Amino acid sequence: MTLAAFAASAFQLGAGIVVAPLLPGVIQSLKARLQGRRGPSPLQPYRELRRLWGKSRFHPLGTTVVYAAAPAVVAASLAGALLVLAPAGTREGSPLGHDVILLVGLLALARFALGLSAWDTGSGFALMGAARDLIVAVGAEGLLMACLALAVLAAGSTDLVMMAAAADGPGIWLSSSHWCALTAFALVIVTETGRQPVDNPDTHLELTMIHEGPLLEYSGRDLAYLQWAAAARHLVVLVLGAELFLPHGGPLIWRAPELMAWIAASLVGLAFTETLVAKMRLLRIPVFLGSGLAIAGVGMATWFLGIRA
Amino acid sequence: MAGVLLYRGDRVGAVFSSGVHPSLGLDPLSSFFALTVAAVAVPALIFASSYLAGTPRAGLQAALAGLFIAAMLLVLAARDPSTFLAGWELMTILPAASILVAHSDRPVRHAVLVYLAVTHLGGAGVWFCLLLLSSLGAVDSPTGLATAGVGLSTAVSLSALVGFGTKAGLMPMHSWLPRAHPVAPAHMSALMSGVMIKVALYGLIRVLFYWAPGQPIWVGVLVIALGALSALGGVLYALFEHELKRLLAFHSIENVGIITMGLGAALLFGASGQRQWAAIAFAVALLHTLNHAIFKGLLFLGAGAIERATHAHHIDRSGGILRLMPATGVAFGIGSMAIAGLPPLNGFASEWLTFQSLLHVGRDRIQAGWAGPLAAVALAVTAAMAVLCFVKVIGLVLLGSPRHSSMGTARDVPAPMRWSQLSLAAGCLLLGLFPGLLLHPLLAIRGQAPLEWNPNLALPATGGLPTVAIGVYLVGVAALLVALRGRYQAEPAPAWTCGQLIEPSLNWTSSAFTKALRLSLEQVLRPTREIVVHRSRGVIRSVEYSGHLPHLFDTVLYGPVTRGALAGANRARRLQSGDLSGYALYLAGLVAILLALVRTGLIS
Repeated sequence: MTLAAFAASAFQLGAGIVVAPLLPGVIQSLKARLQGRRGPSPLQPYRELRRLWGKSRFHPLGTTVVYAAAPAVVAASLAGALLVLAPAGTREGSPLGHDVILLVGLLALARFALGLSAWDTGSGFALMGAARDLIVAVGAEGLLMACLALAVLAAGSTDLVMMAAAADGPGIWLSSSHWCALTAFALVIVTETGRQPVDNPDTHLELTMIHEGPLLEYSGRDLAYLQWAAAARHLVVLVLGAELFLPHGGPLIWRAPELMAWIAASLVGLAFTETLVAKMRLLRIPVFLGSGLAIAGVGMATWFLGIRA
Repeated sequence: MAGVLLYRGDRVGAVFSSGVHPSLGLDPLSSFFALTVAAVAVPALIFASSYLAGTPRAGLQAALAGLFIAAMLLVLAARDPSTFLAGWELMTILPAASILVAHSDRPVRHAVLVYLAVTHLGGAGVWFCLLLLSSLGAVDSPTGLATAGVGLSTAVSLSALVGFGTKAGLMPMHSWLPRAHPVAPAHMSALMSGVMIKVALYGLIRVLFYWAPGQPIWVGVLVIALGALSALGGVLYALFEHELKRLLAFHSIENVGIITMGLGAALLFGASGQRQWAAIAFAVALLHTLNHAIFKGLLFLGAGAIERATHAHHIDRSGGILRLMPATGVAFGIGSMAIAGLPPLNGFASEWLTFQSLLHVGRDRIQAGWAGPLAAVALAVTAAMAVLCFVKVIGLVLLGSPRHSSMGTARDVPAPMRWSQLSLAAGCLLLGLFPGLLLHPLLAIRGQAPLEWNPNLALPATGGLPTVAIGVYLVGVAALLVALRGRYQAEPAPAWTCGQLIEPSLNWTSSAFTKALRLSLEQVLRPTREIVVHRSRGVIRSVEYSGHLPHLFDTVLYGPVTRGALAGANRARRLQSGDLSGYALYLAGLVAILLALVRTGLIS
């Protein structure tokens, strides 16, 4: 690996680490405005992270090394996912490669570590959240793979740089499978970021928690890692969606503003859905994800039947 | 020696012949499977040396295990149909003997009966397939079948799928597997689940890729579909299983399905003339075969060790193993992560490769390419369910505090049992970090030149999987984050559950953890439950609850078949009246029918 590639990866990771907390902050702030409240500043997540960084952490009685290591593993996996992404079509190789299946594996590793931490505490609330998180992931991972498969079909490669290049320009929009993939991926974004109607990040009622449940016992820097990871998950799926399914192209200098514009637009979209849609019942989520799978299935059918819009 | 053959692509001994002269030999494919057998057999025998000590008839058990391994090697080294079939039958019967020597109570005898009945009924497919192939002279020359016509080659493919598929545990022929594997002693379970079903896959590969090459498209689609069904069905029933060894047996079905999906992809690539990707998909299936052998061998040995130390079969009554038995706990945890397909372990490496094979099936110029992406989605769902399942298993078995009073005194198992597990766990790590070193000779098996000598995975048209860098990165960054966290820590206190103390009665069970999935899949799984409320004088005294998840293949598919067979047997028994005049009547009738047939000229 050359020095330039190393510097590019380090910059990408550093920028991701710094920018990530802004995303949920913007959503919270926008949502409050839409609901007629003044709401927190978009920078509120940074303040929370600073506050948590100064606090002591706490390990419940009877927990093992699994509980202690989980926040670090979760944050490391999400940071790895940020590295694997190839935003703005950067061709400099990341040390982890640019393969999209690795991204899926790293997200699964994060879920796995958090699920184990819940078992380690033995707390019913944590376990309830972890169980729901992992069960929702069964459908979500299938749906994510279906969307990615459509993108791979169009690109002929699982390399994210190639896949982003294939979604470049106007030609791809003539393919009806691309529209299906875009629609289905919108459901993936809502699910993976843990936003309404699948999950409610603002809930304070343990019985309704999904992603927040396993975080209940953590505090201090452990909690800071986990909150950063939740924010990074927003960044990962939004960048992935913008690169693979939203229009982009033009010279390299245009790519970064384009990416930012699409992320901003997605954040506005998420704030609107959070305001307009109520959280759905847990057992409705499979139907929600199943409809996404059906859309992706239509996309696959049109692709293999050779139907172009 | 097998390793040398694999890396040099050489062969020793006889070549294949269709005759009946017993002959033995090894080629790279057989060597690879022999290495797989050895990779599990050596730790399993070391484990058994300590596991069997003090049990009745230990010497006999050890001898049976040795003979069983020899029988599997005989199948792999056989170079003519008669030796192959002899080894095949021995391989089926010896585990049954071993199970019955270990314990012979009623449920175990029934499980062994089902095992022998199903594998023999299915095994008829193996006999049929091999005898047909050797009568056509196809075992020694790949062109033998080409002249035989479509009907015969279809018969060969289907009988191979039924025969070898039954033994490999492919759904819907898997019924024996979750019954037989759990009742065997730990080292035999490891061998059966780790390698015996792989020897069946070896047979399938021999037929579909060597003896009857040039399979049509529909065979490839059928193989992928069977693989996807096994993967999804296996993991789904594993999720709702409460007994550790049965759960692991269902995961064997899942992983055989994943291997089979890779084989199906290789068949589809081959049928469309994509030689490079056909070789890649083939090598991928073989690599997952070895990976699964190692982590499944490890998990079955671990389950045996835990059972020996704690006498707990039910995962809800286990717990705290990581603290009570650190070596077993760590090894079992690594094996669970590997089987759940998580980076940076070997399960992820070969699942990544399987995803690549399946997704590339969908590219242009592949006929029936739609099967690939659909199977990739099925594999993604399977992988997510495997993560859910092993979070549950690790949580219930390894973490927390012991859930049963008798477990508090459990101690870790003796050194040979610990080291055999740790060596297999090391295998999971090494194969996860350096899968490329093995993938390259595997590519050469199908005559595809190795890409480049590289411990990482670098395939054309993928982003590549730098396994070494991923391993170093994950461990390094996680360690860095742990160090950054500092030492500032508050006094430990109980976990917060709204002011209640966490008591054993509040413990989560495996059914609770998977309940939401069971509810959402109610239409498919059709669980039954019964609630009995006991009242007296208008006051509810007690409530009894029982839930049961029927295995649909057993109730819907095997149930009617078994009932039909028994009913048919009952009818047939009525003929055997025991009455002498009745038998005289049968004879007279038979003579009359024969005479009539001769008269009409149907037989001369």
